[in-house]
Amino acid sequence: MKYAFPLFSVLALAPLVLPGFHVTLLTEILIFALFAMSLDVQVGYARMFSFGHAAPYGVGAYVAAFALSSGNLPLPGAVLVAVIAVFILAIPIGWLCTRASGVAFAMLTLAFAQLAHAVIFKWNGLTGGSDGISGLLRNHGPWGFAGLESRQGYYWFTLAIVVGSAFLASKFVRSPMGTAIVAVRENEKRAVAIGYEPRRLRLAAFVISNTWAGLAGALHAGFLLFVSPELLHWTLSGYVIVAVVLGGAGTLIGPMIGATLMVVGGHQLSAVADSWPLFMGLLFIVVVVAAPNGLWGIKSSIANAIAVRKAGRLEVDHVAS
Amino acid sequence: MGSSQVWLNLTLNTLALASLLAMLTIGLTLIFGIMRIMNFAHGALYMLGAYSGIAAAQLLGNFWIGLLAAPLAAAAFGSIFEYTLLRRLYRRDGGSFLLVTFGLSLVLTEAIRLIFGPNTRDVDLPSVLSGVVWFGDEPYPAYRIFLIALGIVVLASLAFVFLRTRLGLLIRAIAQNAEMTHALGIDVQLIRSLTFAVGCAFAGLGGYLAVPLITGYIGMGGAAIIDAFVIVMIGGMGSFFGSAAGSLLVALTQTFGNYYLPDFALVATYLLMICVLLCRPGGLFGEQE
Repeated sequence: MKYAFPLFSVLALAPLVLPGFHVTLLTEILIFALFAMSLDVQVGYARMFSFGHAAPYGVGAYVAAFALSSGNLPLPGAVLVAVIAVFILAIPIGWLCTRASGVAFAMLTLAFAQLAHAVIFKWNGLTGGSDGISGLLRNHGPWGFAGLESRQGYYWFTLAIVVGSAFLASKFVRSPMGTAIVAVRENEKRAVAIGYEPRRLRLAAFVISNTWAGLAGALHAGFLLFVSPELLHWTLSGYVIVAVVLGGAGTLIGPMIGATLMVVGGHQLSAVADSWPLFMGLLFIVVVVAAPNGLWGIKSSIANAIAVRKAGRLEVDHVAS
Repeated sequence: MGSSQVWLNLTLNTLALASLLAMLTIGLTLIFGIMRIMNFAHGALYMLGAYSGIAAAQLLGNFWIGLLAAPLAAAAFGSIFEYTLLRRLYRRDGGSFLLVTFGLSLVLTEAIRLIFGPNTRDVDLPSVLSGVVWFGDEPYPAYRIFLIALGIVVLASLAFVFLRTRLGLLIRAIAQNAEMTHALGIDVQLIRSLTFAVGCAFAGLGGYLAVPLITGYIGMGGAAIIDAFVIVMIGGMGSFFGSAAGSLLVALTQTFGNYYLPDFALVATYLLMICVLLCRPGGLFGEQE
């Protein structure tokens, strides 16, 4: 993307000029954007509507919280442990969920997420039940590096991880495995005939998507220094789907824009109108019905239309194809 | 309280809860069977029924008015939604329906919160229903007996319509093969809309009937839709009898689980669903692939 470097530069320099609470808001946006991008690997590229994406996010956050509080690990170590834990958990759960497809897959992922929510909610001794775990610290590393403790330091840490993830994800969806996943989405029978194994590819998409969500969750734990069962509530799974579809599934950048809109709308508009879910829901319905490719899809089709007009009538076929 | 009385109590509670759950899920499963739509807004319609029933009952000072107002409001709203939005989506895949009905549930829940405020709401029971019924020496709330009776009546009459009338035959035919039914000169769209309205009506009725047990609150729709999904998946998507059996099974797990293993009841419900789906992917009564 041609805007990637300028955008990254602006984001990297932002904390130097912005007031503190804007840096906090930007951090939150980045984390939710990473979360939405992770779901896009499933929803957009594999067309697997997971309705339980809060589960890997919440579990990642809780594991990171344990690692910070009981394990006394430095923050990057805690994040790493969380990612590994979610990765390991996602394999058997993904294996079970990918037995189903379509609506049944959505319901199975929802059931596993509800199960995780119920376990964390009820297991008072380990998880603190409905109170969650608070008072976490961004522990110093073994060499006493304390750069992540400040608001700005944590923002840069998050930005580096999110930008790195977006770069990796864009490489992944263009990789042989990524294109095979898209091939299964487009025409499963043909993909089988060529020799692909749809279930294995779906499992791969599931595990990769979940692991990334776990990373986002771990960043969330380090950001707020507080985790609660709310992180695994099904409404969060719903909101992240809204973000993906609103922005434009299957584009990686679209869901990140959708996530930005959701966080900004939730924070800034609710102060004025107090009914952000109403507007968000209406906007979401309009987008699903009228613009299935989301806001980024609208932008692309406008860009296409302009290109077509510029190219003139003779080259219409060429551009459209 | 002796153990036999505990068992009687728990059994009756199970049946009362199963009645409520069945009213919620029968509509959901019929709609799925005939339209291939998993209606996420079903929980919000359940809540709409509860709130409009309460409003009507309080306005006229009569509990029974709510029993009429709740299903009417839910059916009217559901029909408008089906007519204006869902019809545009029939050519898309199941995912779009899940998304658009999820959007509707957000909008409807928030709209109800804006109109009625965030406080919980209750309804006054008439004296007939607020008393107790005696089983030997054991008192039992009359309202729950009323729920059980109503649940049996509703299920029996729906089963009659489904199995013994022409309308029921057409519904089953459309669920099996909509194109062929259409080719035989049946107005498939009309029957779909009718089924959708009836399904929404039962959701609304269930919501209002739940109010004396759980009070009306913002979020009751969300809790209900998750239960309903679990039941429909256990029973088999689109299966009428599966939903009835699933309602009973979930009510059993929750009622007995909450009494004997309170910390485990919630987990048990989801474990039950996962186990059923892993053994029989189509649900207990659904088509197996």
